[in-house]
Amino acid sequence: MDKLLRDKKAITIFIAPAFLLFTFILFIPICQSVYYSFCNYDALTKPQFIGFENYRQLFTIDRTMKIAIKNSTFFLIFSVVTQLIAGLILAALLTNIKKGRNFFKNVYYLPCVLSSAALGLLWMFIFTPKLGINQILAQFGIDGPLWLMDTKGFIILPMWVIASVSLWQYVGQSMMLYMAQISGISSSLYEASYIDGCTKVQAFRYITLPLIRPMVATAMSLNAIGSLKFFDLIFNMTEGGPNHMTEVLATHLYQQGFKYFKYGYASAIGTVLLVLCLIVTFIINKFVKVDNYEM
Amino acid sequence: MEKSAKKKSKAALTLIYIFLSFLAVFYLLPLLWVVYVSLKDDKTLFVSPWALPEHLMFENYNFAWTAGRLGVATVNSALVCGITLVLCLLIGSMAAFAIGRMKWKFSGAMMAYFLTGMMIPVHCILIPIFTRFSKIHLTDSLTGLVLPYLTLSLPITIFIMTGFFQSLPNELFESACIDGCSIYRSFTHIALPLSKTGLFVTGLMTFVANWNELLLAMVFISDDTKKTLPVSLSKFVGPYNTNYSQMFAAIVIAIIPTIIVYCMFSNQIVDGLTAGAVKG
Repeated sequence: MDKLLRDKKAITIFIAPAFLLFTFILFIPICQSVYYSFCNYDALTKPQFIGFENYRQLFTIDRTMKIAIKNSTFFLIFSVVTQLIAGLILAALLTNIKKGRNFFKNVYYLPCVLSSAALGLLWMFIFTPKLGINQILAQFGIDGPLWLMDTKGFIILPMWVIASVSLWQYVGQSMMLYMAQISGISSSLYEASYIDGCTKVQAFRYITLPLIRPMVATAMSLNAIGSLKFFDLIFNMTEGGPNHMTEVLATHLYQQGFKYFKYGYASAIGTVLLVLCLIVTFIINKFVKVDNYEM
Repeated sequence: MEKSAKKKSKAALTLIYIFLSFLAVFYLLPLLWVVYVSLKDDKTLFVSPWALPEHLMFENYNFAWTAGRLGVATVNSALVCGITLVLCLLIGSMAAFAIGRMKWKFSGAMMAYFLTGMMIPVHCILIPIFTRFSKIHLTDSLTGLVLPYLTLSLPITIFIMTGFFQSLPNELFESACIDGCSIYRSFTHIALPLSKTGLFVTGLMTFVANWNELLLAMVFISDDTKKTLPVSLSKFVGPYNTNYSQMFAAIVIAIIPTIIVYCMFSNQIVDGLTAGAVKG
């Protein structure tokens, strides 16, 4: 038995395809990408090492990058905070009802499995000046705002709209994660607390919340990385416009890399994105994650 | 006292139901609206937005399916996602079997290597893969899409399947071994059939993620006959098209297969995807 499990040839055969794919399509390209970020490289020339020049341009000259960083940060904070709150509320409400729980759960989860590209287009139409919401508002004699084209304020209106749509689409995911964790809590804990005169709200505060903390960390890091990677909804709702005001890191990278073919420059944006992802994951795991309680 | 408490909790329950139903309407209404508009005539859309369609305009669908090339795109998407799914389950569970069941020095290190893949955003590898693939003529081909999709789906597959294989009882493999079963046979005939749930969950996650993937597909494919569904949709629906009901029909075509499958298996899908995410 032991000999069979230590069979080197079998191990090699089992692991080789995955290992080779992973190395050639993920690991080597990442190293290349970091290298390219220090190069002057576009579609016509070969990569040529220029040190930190791309990063210098990125952080000092490029105005779109400033907007992209601002928007991405807004997105990150907005989605982590709202998903946490809305997801928890929904999970708490749904675990308290019996009839129709499955129905509501499935309805709220539905947008998570649908294509962001299609939903982005759908919401784009809802917020266009002529159709959707403004058409309804016009019936009541109200001139609706230009939802996706307004450029006033520090965080402009289109960003709020897109962030809300992404909350609409992905809150089901957080809700399900929390529900899965809540359903694992032993009901004897709640019974004991009710005998001691605890109200439902108190039970939620002092039993549920502490016990689902490990899941909060997981859900938060999923949300955080997801919101940094965010591309489909923005691309289909505004394409970064008007005048690059709704650009985020991912769309900026796409524009620079595949519209202007500045591969080196786009790689620098990609590296910034990668570092941000690693930092955020590290912070969340360091400060939110705790060991599982014994239940 | 007892009675008023009961009354209070009943009122609270009603409030909860009202809130939840309101929210459900908010989720379903946009989807119903898009179906409704797609069946209307483009001209009446602005004149009388509330009126029911006089006659159902199935031509909208016909147009989107053929002229919008959504039909070809659906086939392409199904091909790419199907092939990726099968390969990913096979290669992923092979690696997971080696990591989770077999004994060798570097299994832990190998697992860590695969897991780092989960934190890496696809944007970072876009440019190197694109330049490499265009040199060896893999852009504009469906194979060129399957390879990165497969690689990006592997970490989660390996992670979930390793957990499944490790939870299988040792005795099964020992008795198979005594009966003269080779390690390959015990993988195909014992480990795989016993981990059907795991395969289902990971298969689901892989399929949904790849079916909806836009960025990679948009960068890699420029040939209209090879585009996948999200790309063709994004191209057909846009500022250059002015026929709204046709665009709405295209959106419906893009999301209806997922909705039908979801309605049939919603409980398994929701629980399965969550189980995967919990472990991730």
